[in-house]
Amino acid sequence: MPRYGMVIDLKRCYGCYACVMACKVKNHTPPGVFWARILKGESGTFPNTVRQALPVLCMQCDEPSCMEVCPTGATKQRDDGIVIVDKDECMGCKYCMMACPYGARYSVEKWESYFPDGLPLSPYEEFTKKKWEEKSGVGVATKCDFCVDRIGDGKLPACVDACPANARTFGDLEDPNSEISILIKKYRGEVLNPEIGNKPKVYYLAPR
Amino acid sequence: MNPKANGQLQKEWGWWIAIYLFLGGIGGGAYTIAAVNWFIGESVEMSTRVGLWIGFPALAIGSICLLADLGSPKRAILAGLKPGTSWIARGTWIISVFMVLSLLHLILHEFTDVRGALVSVIAILGIVFAVGTMAYTGILLGASKGIPFWRTGAVPVVFVVSALVTGHFTIMLGMLLFSRGVAPAAPLRTMALEAVALVVLEVLAIVFFLQAAFKLPDPRESAERILRNRAFVFGYFMLGLGVPLVLMLILLFNVARPGAGSHLALAGIGAVLGLIGGLILRQAVLVCGALPTLNIAGFEFRRIARPKEPKAGIGLLPPQ
Repeated sequence: MPRYGMVIDLKRCYGCYACVMACKVKNHTPPGVFWARILKGESGTFPNTVRQALPVLCMQCDEPSCMEVCPTGATKQRDDGIVIVDKDECMGCKYCMMACPYGARYSVEKWESYFPDGLPLSPYEEFTKKKWEEKSGVGVATKCDFCVDRIGDGKLPACVDACPANARTFGDLEDPNSEISILIKKYRGEVLNPEIGNKPKVYYLAPR
Repeated sequence: MNPKANGQLQKEWGWWIAIYLFLGGIGGGAYTIAAVNWFIGESVEMSTRVGLWIGFPALAIGSICLLADLGSPKRAILAGLKPGTSWIARGTWIISVFMVLSLLHLILHEFTDVRGALVSVIAILGIVFAVGTMAYTGILLGASKGIPFWRTGAVPVVFVVSALVTGHFTIMLGMLLFSRGVAPAAPLRTMALEAVALVVLEVLAIVFFLQAAFKLPDPRESAERILRNRAFVFGYFMLGLGVPLVLMLILLFNVARPGAGSHLALAGIGAVLGLIGGLILRQAVLVCGALPTLNIAGFEFRRIARPKEPKAGIGLLPPQ
């Protein structure tokens, strides 16, 4: 059984937001919901400062604190390590959102238009809303699931496919010969905030 | 519409959860005091009765507030499925058992002549679950890995002490209302003395909590925010703790004439302010909870101030 993970090379990422857009288009997420995000960080002291983009998504932790606190068992971990939410079991208590230190979870109370002043939903928004409600819906917790449907079809997650800089590598962490395992070993891949202890499966290659 | 950034405040839990935690605390605190007084006996009979009448309704209304906050309240029946790992599931069981016990105690005490061993057992179990309920309201937050401010270990202590304070003030208020302005001086003096002790304890607990939060970088951000929060500083610390403390001290050393109107007013104002303060405390602790800063290779990734959204009429947006 594979154990899926991702490596993001921070030297390659230049913060173009292509992954953010690809995720929104593929997963039909509502306004304000970003399963893939880009954070901007700063390091050093003036005048020797550097700005760095950090792509963030659900870390698909080996020991997910969101799953631990879920009172209904709606958050589950598949055999391949991907953490998913069963929309039919979630009661929308939002406790998982308080438990995720990476801010990867979202919940929306209603679908709002992207356009201002209470304009009616456009035909594309109507379509997107329908697709979203089939998969997730309002009032329940939602998060990135590594595009499980695409993985099932033998494709890569949408964010990996869309990255113009090839900063993202997706693969099997169990296989020592997979590209992802080699990258982590060769370039000493690190996880975000390891002190939290969730054992994320998204690794980063240092920007310098 | 901006994506969520680490370092920013959580916005998912607001007033409904604050009221739920507040009423859970009142229910637990009032029942604990009532049940302890029940063991003491006749001299504090009135506070026992008032406390028993407060416990169950406070919890019932609090639970309705929790339901109101749920995204899918019709699935609330599933809430207790995972008591092994989830504090919401554990809390569901603790509060449910406590509600049954407090209702049973109330019915036996008010509507039957049953006394003795049975009521003692119910009271002891009730106290255990009442303390569990008070602690749960803090542990619920303390078990959230995503908000370092709540994980300093002091939140349950603060919430238990605050629950006793608010429970005590609710009993005091109930006594004033039930006595219709002729509350005897002796119980009022005892209540004032207890209130002073509990409020001093709460001041110590909150100072300990904030000091613990200041020692670590991530909780410190929230601690700084809460100290800049006007509702917390003025509404809770000054009006919700300071003023009631002064009023209770005045009451304690100056209850000369039984049932004097000014003393009843002092007690009533102190109790109401203390209750408002308890609610503000919970709301402030909730809204000042921030996600931890993410860091890797010397970079810190957190909220960076962004320019304001363009106004309608500029660029592609239609003019107003």
